[in-house]
Amino acid sequence: MDITTLGGSLLGTIPLGDIVLYLTPFHLFMFGSILIFTVIIAISRTETQVEAIFGGMKEKKVSVDLSEFKARRFLAIVCGVATAGAMITGDLFNFILFVALIGIVNIGIVSAVKQISVLDAAFHYGLIAMMSSLPLFGGGAMILASTGTLSLFAISQIPHTSLMLLFATIMFGIGVAGETGIAPFFATKAEMFRTPGSPFILIIHLSSLFIIIRTIEIILLIVA
Amino acid sequence: MIQKWFSRDIMYLMADIVVNVLIAFLFGSILLGLHRKVMARIQLRPGPPIIQHFLHSLKFFFKETSFPKTAAMPFYVAIVVILCAIWVTAVIVGPVSQGSLLIIFGVYALYKIVEHNSGSSSGSPYGKMSCVRAVFSAAAELPLFAVIAIVYLKTGTMNIAEIIAYQSVHGALIFSVPLATIVFFVLILSKSPYSPFAITKGKDLVSGYETEHFGFLRGFLMLSESMSWYVILWVFLTIFLAPLSLVGYLVGMIVITAITAIINAVTPIFNPNHSIMTQISIAIVGIGGSLLLMLIA
Repeated sequence: MDITTLGGSLLGTIPLGDIVLYLTPFHLFMFGSILIFTVIIAISRTETQVEAIFGGMKEKKVSVDLSEFKARRFLAIVCGVATAGAMITGDLFNFILFVALIGIVNIGIVSAVKQISVLDAAFHYGLIAMMSSLPLFGGGAMILASTGTLSLFAISQIPHTSLMLLFATIMFGIGVAGETGIAPFFATKAEMFRTPGSPFILIIHLSSLFIIIRTIEIILLIVA
Repeated sequence: MIQKWFSRDIMYLMADIVVNVLIAFLFGSILLGLHRKVMARIQLRPGPPIIQHFLHSLKFFFKETSFPKTAAMPFYVAIVVILCAIWVTAVIVGPVSQGSLLIIFGVYALYKIVEHNSGSSSGSPYGKMSCVRAVFSAAAELPLFAVIAIVYLKTGTMNIAEIIAYQSVHGALIFSVPLATIVFFVLILSKSPYSPFAITKGKDLVSGYETEHFGFLRGFLMLSESMSWYVILWVFLTIFLAPLSLVGYLVGMIVITAITAIINAVTPIFNPNHSIMTQISIAIVGIGGSLLLMLIA
């Protein structure tokens, strides 16, 4: 399928051998948005949660301590940069690597929180992410075996979709879903959102949704 | 000479954007006012004037703004300004340039994230709970992307102008993919005020993610609400009922607003689990049925 029918008119290409990086208004919007959010996250402090104490009139304040803040902020910035990379890459293997990196740093952002319920959620998300790396990389390998290239620009020119390519795309989709922790795997992630650290929570969710939108574009490029 | 034409084109484009953003805000506000009025009349109340939402939006820009001590600054302020900016982007991509549908859904994804993080950034437990519910409700909105894929498989394009051209030749998509239309309508219903699916703004959470935003910050939130309502209705009418005249859009938006108001007036807010499962069930039936219909046809 033609790239321009999905993301709008082609703004430019960077040919690097058979890997051709390309830019459309869609990619530019996604890339710009994620960079803006990454900068805001980098310069923001975290909120303090105010919780009522059961059986009394007092309240408890829960905040992020400095060492935890530094670790989570660093990982959030890495997550933002990896997502930005995934938005503009024209190479399927690079995209898969960025998705794997996003999965790892998302687990890191959450596992820095010293709460049992949150660590439990991070552990389950980690298991799903690890298991999903097999269909993710396996799907990418099968796409390479079926088409002979990992360049999205070249794949989009292939007129017919073989059954193997269709199967590989399904595997790739399952891998991305697990790695980013979306439905039906999102239940493992939901507990993470109860913790303080709003800017870091934002990047977890933002990276997942942006990766899903880009994945839809890639799947349509391959199969449509 | 070229420079003169170039600058004239840029001027026209800028004017087009400003006019469309103003229309989105003004008409969106009036539609939300109409929504409240219809709901009130069904519930045998006189209800506020139709321009009340518009007046409220303006009023908050002149009210005193206070910031919670517990807020994540500057994230807390930036997030509502970004919310407004992304709906301006949606107006540019949609009504102004009729660009790629994928960008509109990129905007929608951003809107979801910004919406719930504006709640969690304040430190309020109500905002936080709204944020957690929004994460759950995002799972129910993922089928929206599947609707877009169905439209793409049917028309062969994501470009809004080309989708309109396709419909002018083959007829409105509401007749060829009716189930996908229903799934999209449920999404509109979930975004309407006092919706049965509006779990992020349930009254048990005061005002949900908006609870701790005051003054001009609330003004930005209300401005964004008006523009988002206008854009979502515009996208629905354009994808499924195009080509429409100006009057067609006007009537379509009023009718959909009235229908959602009637549904919301007679339906209580679901609990979070029921809300999500209802939306997911409708989506699975709608998307599966649409794919089946496309295979048979």
